[in-house]
Amino acid sequence: MPAKKRTRKTVKKTVSFSDDTTLTTHQNREKKNVDHDRPPVYVRKTPLMTFPYHLVALLYYYVFVSSNFNTVKLLSFLIPTQVAYLVLQFNKCTVYGNKIIKINYSLTIICLGVTFLLSFPTMLLTILFGAPLMDLLWETWLLSLHFAFLAYPAVYSVFNCDFKVGLWKKYFIFIVVGGWISCVVIPLDWDRDWQNWPIPIVVGGYLGALVGYTIGAYI
Amino acid sequence: MDEKTIKKSILSSSNDEKIIYKSRIKKFQKNHKFYIILLVFIAILQFISIAFFTRGFLLSRHVLDNISSQNETSKLPPRFNKAVILVIDALRFDFAIPVNESHSNYNLNYHNNILSLYDSFASDKDASSLLLKFIADPPTTTLQRLKGLTTGSLPTFIDAGSNFDGTVIEEDNFLKQLHLANKTVKFAGDDTWMALFHPFLSNDSFPLESLNVWDLDTVDNGVMDYFHDHLQQDKEWDVMIGHMLGIDHVGHKYGPDHFTMREKQIQVDQFIDWILKSIDDDTLLVILGDHGMDHTGNHGGDSIDELESTLFLYSKKPDMWRLKETSNYNIDNLGHDYRSVRQIDLVSSLALLMGQPIPFNNLGWPIDEIARNDREWSQFVNSAISQLQLYKDTMQIHHGNDEILEPLAKNISNTPPTSDPEKFVKLGHKYQKVFLQTCEELWAKFDYYSIATGITLLATSLVLLISITKLIPSIVVNQMVPEFVPGIIIMVLVTNLCFHGIFYVYQQPSFVDQFWGTLLATAIGIIIGCYITIFDRYNFIWIAMRLGETLADYWSRIAVMFMIIHALLFTSNSFTIWEDRIVAFLLSTFGMLTLYEFVFLPKRQSTTALLTATISEKEGTTSGVNPSTANSNYLPLTRFARLLGGYHSAVLIIFTRLASMITICREEQGEYCIPTFNNQNNSSWWVLGLCFLMIFILPACITGYYNLTSSYQAAAPIWINVFLKGILGLNFVYWSLTSLENNSAVIAIPFLRDVTIFKFTLARIIAGFSLIASNVGWLMGPLCIKLNIHNTDVKSHEATILGYTNIYGSEFFLLVINVLISILLFNKPLAQLSYFLMCNQLLSILEIIDLLKLKENIIGPIALGLLSYQHFFTTGHQATIPSVQWDIGFMLSEKVTFPFTQIAIILNTFGPHILVSLSVALLTLWSQPPDVLKPQTLLGRIVSNCGILLTYNTILCLSSFIWVTHFRRHLMVWKIFCPRFIFASLSLIVTQLVVTFGTIAFASGRLIKHINDIFWK
Repeated sequence: MPAKKRTRKTVKKTVSFSDDTTLTTHQNREKKNVDHDRPPVYVRKTPLMTFPYHLVALLYYYVFVSSNFNTVKLLSFLIPTQVAYLVLQFNKCTVYGNKIIKINYSLTIICLGVTFLLSFPTMLLTILFGAPLMDLLWETWLLSLHFAFLAYPAVYSVFNCDFKVGLWKKYFIFIVVGGWISCVVIPLDWDRDWQNWPIPIVVGGYLGALVGYTIGAYI
Repeated sequence: MDEKTIKKSILSSSNDEKIIYKSRIKKFQKNHKFYIILLVFIAILQFISIAFFTRGFLLSRHVLDNISSQNETSKLPPRFNKAVILVIDALRFDFAIPVNESHSNYNLNYHNNILSLYDSFASDKDASSLLLKFIADPPTTTLQRLKGLTTGSLPTFIDAGSNFDGTVIEEDNFLKQLHLANKTVKFAGDDTWMALFHPFLSNDSFPLESLNVWDLDTVDNGVMDYFHDHLQQDKEWDVMIGHMLGIDHVGHKYGPDHFTMREKQIQVDQFIDWILKSIDDDTLLVILGDHGMDHTGNHGGDSIDELESTLFLYSKKPDMWRLKETSNYNIDNLGHDYRSVRQIDLVSSLALLMGQPIPFNNLGWPIDEIARNDREWSQFVNSAISQLQLYKDTMQIHHGNDEILEPLAKNISNTPPTSDPEKFVKLGHKYQKVFLQTCEELWAKFDYYSIATGITLLATSLVLLISITKLIPSIVVNQMVPEFVPGIIIMVLVTNLCFHGIFYVYQQPSFVDQFWGTLLATAIGIIIGCYITIFDRYNFIWIAMRLGETLADYWSRIAVMFMIIHALLFTSNSFTIWEDRIVAFLLSTFGMLTLYEFVFLPKRQSTTALLTATISEKEGTTSGVNPSTANSNYLPLTRFARLLGGYHSAVLIIFTRLASMITICREEQGEYCIPTFNNQNNSSWWVLGLCFLMIFILPACITGYYNLTSSYQAAAPIWINVFLKGILGLNFVYWSLTSLENNSAVIAIPFLRDVTIFKFTLARIIAGFSLIASNVGWLMGPLCIKLNIHNTDVKSHEATILGYTNIYGSEFFLLVINVLISILLFNKPLAQLSYFLMCNQLLSILEIIDLLKLKENIIGPIALGLLSYQHFFTTGHQATIPSVQWDIGFMLSEKVTFPFTQIAIILNTFGPHILVSLSVALLTLWSQPPDVLKPQTLLGRIVSNCGILLTYNTILCLSSFIWVTHFRRHLMVWKIFCPRFIFASLSLIVTQLVVTFGTIAFASGRLIKHINDIFWK
């Protein structure tokens, strides 16, 4: 009986004009039976590992523990906990072409600087949305710093992934949408302390980041 | 000659083709007429619903025509035989009392300038003077105030009864009583009095035009001259009344914080001083303000500043008033705790002092201080109680408070006035308070049937609008529209016939008025006529599924989210107050979303583009052009297109932010809002400098947009660089003269009259050109295309038509320019800067919609709707009555002259809505080549986009109807929710009229026919 010759699986080529797809330059010719449905870089769907527990603690501190909603102190807590989250949780769940890359400590430091600089376009964005132009500039910048550092793990991943923003912009979007939704309480005449600029937006950004990092892997 | 030859050969057509073309054009014109009629019917339906709701919601009061008469047994001798009544319009209380200069609110422009009243009161040892704070009831317009002051009744928006039309006050009032007693009443000042009281005033009276707020001196000088001539020399008057308007007009024109206010107050002070010296011993002097003014100088609402006014009573005889303890007259803190009385208490007090009967409809109570002793006070109270009880019995007012009123009345009749006067007075006053509260509750009854009818009809019209203009495809509507119109006409006739038949058979039931019944029948007829035609082809399930399909794509959902958010603003007074910020926020969000779209180009773009390409492939093209060429617009965006789209999005975002810096604050916004739209900034050199720069920058910007499609050809330079630039220049001259006039009123007095005449002439020239001449020019059909011949060989026919792709949009936008320059004239300099920003935002939105292939998506009209609301606020308006810029009405004429005053105010207030209602057609026409769509299809799509804009305004109007009804007992209903519903109704009406008659009937039909005459194939 003649042996049946095994036919090679045909790989269909597609052309896309969207930035959402990351094109890989690796040929993987040696490997067989490559699963082409799985994207090369993705975050594993492990909710316990990706859930940002520290944001819950920071929110609790900011709303209930801190006196007069100290935004500066909250920022000093946010930065180290975000680094810890990246090292201990987020990076461990990120898969780069079937493998997990160890944390690059020099890149984490570089990204701290980049994130700091990111606060300035974020501040511009905030002002364009209607934030006071000259009044409360310090508070607006603090808000921008919070938003920028909330996105710190995503910034690191962008650098670690050849600047393909498409995969990671959903995290930025969640933070922005959280801030956008929380604007609803500012016009109300309840005369609460927490209605002052920028407290509701900070809380909204944290909630958006919380939701984004939790369910981002599923989108 | 070469160009002419080539043009002739390109555009020539045979006779057979001409016949075919004529039949097609006739078909198009017929459809066009049917579309107009259909939209008119929908507009009528919406107007009827607004009329019903307004009828039910705005409060009304039933007025009796009874007249009080003298009761001989209780007749009191008059304390005064003559009276001088001086009304100083807008005399706020803190204008009339000394204010400590170290107080934080002290202002030298309007404090401590009128001192004669308080000096007389404070230095008085003989109790000859009485100075009180005078609280007005809202609304504080002159008509309602004069009614309140002379009848003692509560004001309402509409007084039903014999004076429904607001002319002569026929109900019993103080002046009528004087007239019946054969007293001679002479009047000088505000001519509103003549409209209301002329049968009761002497023929020797001297009315003066009151509405021209630019005029600070005519009325006041007239009053002072009249008093100088008649107060002492004339012996034939019993009551002399003056109504001065200078302080009020300064407030409207400049606001209270202006040096002219100080001058005017000093003038008034000197006049008062003269009167105090000039009256004789038998004359009562009454000096009062009818209302106050807020920090912008306006009134019409119910803020404390607007309601607090002044009342001063004076006589040269001693011991005329019995003052209370000194602590009641404490002037500290701007008189915050000073003793106050209500304006409805004035007429009963005057009647008792003058020995007249208290007017029949009076609800006020005599002022405590006018009684000199307890016995007299008992007599006054007895007269007042008798009048109130007679009124209550005649009106047959029975209410829940009767269980309180009846025992009180019994107690009063059981208490002898002579033996226990204090108890008698106390019981009487309590009776009056409870009765007044009863009337207030009773007359705040809303007509719920009319309210429900209005809301139901408006909701039904909303469903019709959505169905006809969006859910049913425009191609099908093209075929259905000849069926709509006869169906509607027949059903309107049938329903009216049914109604009138029932009406006459049942002998005219009292609960249904014939006029309103006819309106309701017409509305029902329109609804049934539309639904018959719709359900002839579709059923409810299909329409519901179609609604789901329409909202399936991303941008439609964004649009619906914006619409719903805006509609839900009226659920809270806070959101309504901050609508100006929220609308700008939503527009910025739209800009951010489009910027994101162009930068990241998410995957759904491919899906939408591919689907659209498939549809277009199936439809084919009428011109026979290569399908790949016709569909090239649906390929994914090129790099240049993305850059261009990103640029337009950035322009939209940045200009939205710049425009939001022009703010006019409503009172409730308090310290969180810093007003930048004020008289000072509108007259400042830097704003006028920006307006001067705008003369060159605005044409350059529009030229840039035209050059994107090579449309800056032929007529475009004429319109943009000649007409627009020229009118902007004349506009700048006009407003510079106004600014000079405001800033140097003293220096320019000798030339003031000449400058005023020149300004009138200039304004009329600009208005005539922009409203009439430029539109006649547009009717000539200006094209923005040019033949570009590369080959000079006559035998070759190769030629390029520059501007071909945007031939529709470029010509239509010239009409938008016409409307823009007419609106700019009637707006103040800062508002003109706002229109400059709006123009750029508008064109950027059109480019964005075109680049993203969203011409038929509902996001386009919604974005334009948001733009119109944003610039309503940034052109110096709020949804409040005081923010209407009444002074603009006198730019074309010195007096109220129909229609010039009305046109000016409408263009000033609703300019952004008019501009957007016209420009919504550009969503379809911008960058639309002439050979792709048939005329009927093009018209159908324009109607569809216009329908979405109307839907947006209808949803806002419906939401404001629902929530103002829900908040009808809210403390702030008349301040926040009611003006908002009035504004929503008016903006819907304006949008309907402009869309139906301007955009569809006039502009689109004319344009499509004109282009197809030339480029028919």
